[in-house]
Amino acid sequence: MDYSLTLDGVTKRFGSVLAVDHIAMAIPRGTIYGFLGPNGAGKTTTIRMIMSIFYPDEGQIRILGEENAEAVKDRLGYLPEEKGLYKKMKAGEILAYFGRLKGMDGRTAKNRAAELLERHGLGEWQDRRCEALSKGMGQKVQILGTLIHDPELVILDEPFSGLDPVNVELMRDVILEMKRDGRTVIFSTHIMQQAEQLCDAILLVNKGKKIIDGPLAMVKAAGGRAVMLDYDGDGSILRGLPGVARLNDSGKQAEMTLLEGADPQEVLERLVGKLTIRRFDVREASLHEIFVKAVGGKADA
Amino acid sequence: MRNKSLLVAQREYVENLRTKMFWVGILFFPIMIVLAIVIPRWLEGRKDVRRYAVLDRSGFLLQRVEERAAMPDLQKVFREAIQRYVQKAESFDEFPASVRQVAVPIGDTLIEEAGDEKLLDLMEKREFKDGLQWLASNVSGEPGSDLQKTLAQPMFAEAAKEMEAQREEIRQWWKLLPPKEARDYGSDLSKARYQRIDVAAAGEVTEETLDRQIAADQLFAYIVVPEDPVKGEQRFKYVSRNLTDEDLREWFGRYANDELRDKRLQQESIDKATADWIQKPVDFEKKQVSKAGKQEEVAKEDIALKWAPVVGVYLLWIAVFSISQMLLTNTVEEKSNRILEVLLSSVSPLQLMSGKIIGIAWSGLTMVCSWVLSFVALVNFMPALMGMNLEVNLLKVASDPRLITSFIVYFLLGYLFFSAFLVGIGSVCNSVKEASNLMMPVSILLMLPILAMIPVGQDPNGALAKFLSYIPPFTPFVMMNRAGGPPSLAEYVVTSILLVVTIVLLFWAAAKVFRIGILMTGKPPTPLEMLRWIKAPIGQVPARKQE
Repeated sequence: MDYSLTLDGVTKRFGSVLAVDHIAMAIPRGTIYGFLGPNGAGKTTTIRMIMSIFYPDEGQIRILGEENAEAVKDRLGYLPEEKGLYKKMKAGEILAYFGRLKGMDGRTAKNRAAELLERHGLGEWQDRRCEALSKGMGQKVQILGTLIHDPELVILDEPFSGLDPVNVELMRDVILEMKRDGRTVIFSTHIMQQAEQLCDAILLVNKGKKIIDGPLAMVKAAGGRAVMLDYDGDGSILRGLPGVARLNDSGKQAEMTLLEGADPQEVLERLVGKLTIRRFDVREASLHEIFVKAVGGKADA
Repeated sequence: MRNKSLLVAQREYVENLRTKMFWVGILFFPIMIVLAIVIPRWLEGRKDVRRYAVLDRSGFLLQRVEERAAMPDLQKVFREAIQRYVQKAESFDEFPASVRQVAVPIGDTLIEEAGDEKLLDLMEKREFKDGLQWLASNVSGEPGSDLQKTLAQPMFAEAAKEMEAQREEIRQWWKLLPPKEARDYGSDLSKARYQRIDVAAAGEVTEETLDRQIAADQLFAYIVVPEDPVKGEQRFKYVSRNLTDEDLREWFGRYANDELRDKRLQQESIDKATADWIQKPVDFEKKQVSKAGKQEEVAKEDIALKWAPVVGVYLLWIAVFSISQMLLTNTVEEKSNRILEVLLSSVSPLQLMSGKIIGIAWSGLTMVCSWVLSFVALVNFMPALMGMNLEVNLLKVASDPRLITSFIVYFLLGYLFFSAFLVGIGSVCNSVKEASNLMMPVSILLMLPILAMIPVGQDPNGALAKFLSYIPPFTPFVMMNRAGGPPSLAEYVVTSILLVVTIVLLFWAAAKVFRIGILMTGKPPTPLEMLRWIKAPIGQVPARKQE
């Protein structure tokens, strides 16, 4: 299979702290790959090693057929979690600058910057300084900066964090569009729902260690069944229901992971008349539940 | 790969050109020079006329003091008139016709005798100064130099006839000239500074009335001359409310002293020439020895050339300090803008760091070169524009290649040396405030060459100067300081090699700190911690203590 990126036994220590512990993954070309885990799981460190910002203490990384990302930087798009813009530069200028840093010539970069801004409704902001942009617009410019040079592989570190709802949609569309164009997208997140909606395959990490990985469908299939319940009323009845392995109650909505062989109908029967049920949905357990189960219910994600 | 550093540098440069601080830096130097010349002149023009009165109980001293005091003033006035005439300035017409008629023949002979360049040199000559003194004595009544000798000069023969005709007219003009207008006829005239209020004419005036006038600010001061000042037993009295400005008292006292001395010599039948001879001070003739071992005249330019490096050091220091500071704030700003990691997806930390350093070096060189250019331009055009003469031929100083080359080269080397420190510090700090704490040791390192500036300037090839030249952080400043010496070629070569090697080592260390620092958040590391980063292999991040 044609892999954009493979990691093999990659390990990173900061002094005595083991930040990344023998992580392995293989990401086929043209897929959206989710890199999941709670804060501090080692996602950013792994991504920085992929980008050759840090070097691994052990293990190998192959990216677009090269050992070192330095050699293929111009074919990579990278959006770090900590991101910003030069306040005094104009939006068009800074996009063109990002493009030129990726090896585009000045004229092409400038035209492409104008085109991207125009397409995403920022045409009139092209000659305005970045300090004048609203936070949402600034985020848009940053996202566009990752794309300006048509990268083959895009790595996004927590791309959704801090985005307003409009930009969350933009980000999602951009990711899907990149996939349509045949690019490979890797993004990290600690919000499992987003990964569930977008990813072809995922890797779940906790405390630097791999928990689960594989195509999303396989991961979900192995996770067992769960009931998704929307309700009104006193949720205390949900506690200690037979056949329920774990309850995740949010007050109006609850997810109940079922024990193997448990019958959802029994669960439903016990609830009828006690709660006002708006939805009762039997399906695969969510990634969140799978993750919690895998780490033994101790994760705080 | 290199191309990317240049891209970073280019952005940095363009960005800097857009900041106000950069233009403040560019303009700082020419503005400073212009102000240094204009402000004293402007203040001179603003000085209040000091109104004073004299109660002359001796009956003779006041008049003699005034005659004597008019001498230097009148010489300045004639000199100014002649100068304006030979320079064909329109302001020559401001002088009354009587003065102009005396000045014209002298000016004409001057022009005949010299080409354009030597005109001012001729006006510095003894004969010319004697002539001025003679002109002044005609008007003031104070006996001047030897009349015959002066008139023997063709330059003044013509003028003597004119003077004969115009003397009364000029005297009258001078006597009635109000102090405020006197300013227009020469710089620093005492007539423009001190205006005596005639109290004798008002009848019997007592000290009490004058005291009241001083209290009411109608009078700045008054002087009481005792009945017999020649005898010297009674004291003069100087009464004023201003205790700090002693100029008036000293000015009056100087001429009173001269007059009394002459009177006493006369009384004791001592020849004035003999007395002058007895009091004659030792007169040194200053010579220097050239490289070839010959004695040469010491020109004012030579002295200026010896001291110009000190000014150079000061400017160098300002330039290095402010430009390195620019690097620091830019790095810190980029870090707090969170833009660094975005850039790291396209460029390596080393490219980023070198790009920043190069970009700011361009900004600095632009600034420093603009200083050099504006200095040369000012020296060339300023005197003409301001209508004044520089005592020293600054052009010779301005165009000395050793000074200018030293200035630019040592700016670059000095900047590179300190940039390694500052880019490292900038990379680990999240705010300028944090950075200023870490800056302390570097600032102290920067202070030393300033403290050593004067001693090194006095003895450019002395032990201290030589010793400091070999210490890399001081090399640029001290070698600039010694440019007047100048140091031997071997010294230039050895100190430069030492400095460049140190810079390379520092860059290697800075790159390691930069690499880790730019991605670090939270408390900045201690210098010891940074030392551990430098020791660690590339790509490894040593643990922080608190973790």
